[in-house]
Amino acid sequence: MFKHLFKLIWNKKKQNFLLMSEILISFLVIFAVFTLMAYYYNNYKKPMGLDYENVWVVNYNNAYATKNTDSLNTYYETMRQTLKAMPQVSELSFCSDNTPFSQNTMQSGMTVKGKKIDHINNFTIEDSYDKTLGLKILEGRWFNKGDAVAKNKPIVINDELREEIFGNEPAVGKLIGDDGDKNKMKIIGVIQGVKVKGDYLPAGFGQYSRADTGSFHWFGKIMIKVTPDADAAFEGHLYKTLANYMKNSDIEIEHLTNKRISTNYFAVVPIIVLTIVSCFLIINVALGLFGVLWYNINKRRGEIGLRRALGATGKSVSGQLVSESMLVATLSLIVGTFFAVQFPLLNVFSLQAGIYITAIILAVIFIYLLVLVCSLYPGKQAAAIYPAVALHEE
Amino acid sequence: MIQLQNIEKVYRTSTVETLALSSISLDIAKGEFLSIMGPSGCGKSTLLNIMGLLDAPSKGQIKIGDQKTENLSDKQLANFRNQKLGFIFQSYHLINDLQVLDNVELPLLYRNSTAKERKALASEALAKVGLANRMKHFPNQLSGGQKQRVAIARAIVGRPEIILADEPTGNLDSAMGNEIMDILMQLNQNDGTTIVMVTHDENMAHKTHRLVRLFDGSQVQ
Repeated sequence: MFKHLFKLIWNKKKQNFLLMSEILISFLVIFAVFTLMAYYYNNYKKPMGLDYENVWVVNYNNAYATKNTDSLNTYYETMRQTLKAMPQVSELSFCSDNTPFSQNTMQSGMTVKGKKIDHINNFTIEDSYDKTLGLKILEGRWFNKGDAVAKNKPIVINDELREEIFGNEPAVGKLIGDDGDKNKMKIIGVIQGVKVKGDYLPAGFGQYSRADTGSFHWFGKIMIKVTPDADAAFEGHLYKTLANYMKNSDIEIEHLTNKRISTNYFAVVPIIVLTIVSCFLIINVALGLFGVLWYNINKRRGEIGLRRALGATGKSVSGQLVSESMLVATLSLIVGTFFAVQFPLLNVFSLQAGIYITAIILAVIFIYLLVLVCSLYPGKQAAAIYPAVALHEE
Repeated sequence: MIQLQNIEKVYRTSTVETLALSSISLDIAKGEFLSIMGPSGCGKSTLLNIMGLLDAPSKGQIKIGDQKTENLSDKQLANFRNQKLGFIFQSYHLINDLQVLDNVELPLLYRNSTAKERKALASEALAKVGLANRMKHFPNQLSGGQKQRVAIARAIVGRPEIILADEPTGNLDSAMGNEIMDILMQLNQNDGTTIVMVTHDENMAHKTHRLVRLFDGSQVQ
């Protein structure tokens, strides 16, 4: 029967062309949606790499306009002591503007052993940064005061960058930097990747450098880990303290939990838009499929009557029409899958092959279900055709 | 072979009730070639559809061979039609998207036969109607007479005991009509196939063993 149905469809390929094209385009759109979903889910299930609860971000600017680095360091050290004296402040760290869940990025690239690595996020932070954010050390250690006098600039990298450069080998103690650069940096630790762009986006490559005495000239953020009992009253008190200390500065206090929520919201906007667009497309395809099948049944009433006369049951007629639709879908899906598998094969967008394969499988299942649902009712109608009437109409 | 007892067929709508057949009783013997004649709308095709189990009578009983048919399920009826009956229609009812050989194989698709068996039987049936050289043609590449011969091949491919032909020569000129009639007569004489044929053509009808005439749903001869 399969061969018979295939012949029937193949001999009607011109009539089926539009339907097959429609299914093919739907498959490709659904594949895109599922790829994005699989990508987001794959990122979502990975650990955040930081503890964002009870962490506040203080944004400031123009706090102390001086070119004298010593004065500047003293100014901020005094501020640090003032803040640390507050019972609700557990830990704090001054840092570069690219705090977690912010829109700021500071990226660089390097060529290691001829391999170019782009989009490395550079974080300049203090020794207390790991405790403030609860970072997880996987290998080696975090920064300490002794690093100030190290021969090679010490850095901490994240697991993603370690894997990119060294594969499964340990990284601690190794020197990295551009191939031509004589001032190599020494890796002293590896941390779990921090998903700084929210739950749905990957941690990316991360490189952490210790703030030096000149960093306060351009720093504009303080990460503060507060105790769970730190409330709005404390936030007001903190704000007043900072405003009194940094009189010329615009100060803003944000909660990392809220920033995470808004970052996640912006991350899912594309998928929401794409899903809405694809929903409209799918509704159109479903209606198209339904219409075409309905039309086919009316056009093929004579054939249906004939098949009933020759020994087909109502169920087998219905099954035949559903099978024909599934076969048409299969032909489209073969073509669609051919295009879809090019993405992992050609490493388009540098996503893991597993994400594309998952998306292909889900899109195939979705299209089959769509075609099945759309052909069930017309199939049932076909089964109800009275053979004597249908044969007489022809 | 076919026994009809007091067959009555009424078509009902919400407002109208039409009596298509009234008290038809017929006993068709095995190997008989029977023709049914009558004016248009007298119920010939309805009677043929009832004999072919494509339509159910409103009243009366049908017995084909030893099988009473009134209590058969849809599946049993389909199986019975497939095994015992062959159909030939005035408008051929060939599937234009399938080659001649595939058209002839159709009844065998609803049996447990292999592709090889189907092909062998279909080729044999086509050879029997003189179309062995047209197997790979599509129906729209054939003349009316050839199409009807394909339809006959399809009707006999499953070796049914009964062939029901609804105006098989109705769309053909007299020469082609005679050719078709000769094939049907050969099937009847050589294979002992019971044939019931609806026709408007007196000449064709007189070539058969017995003629039944209908008028306004009743048997008049």
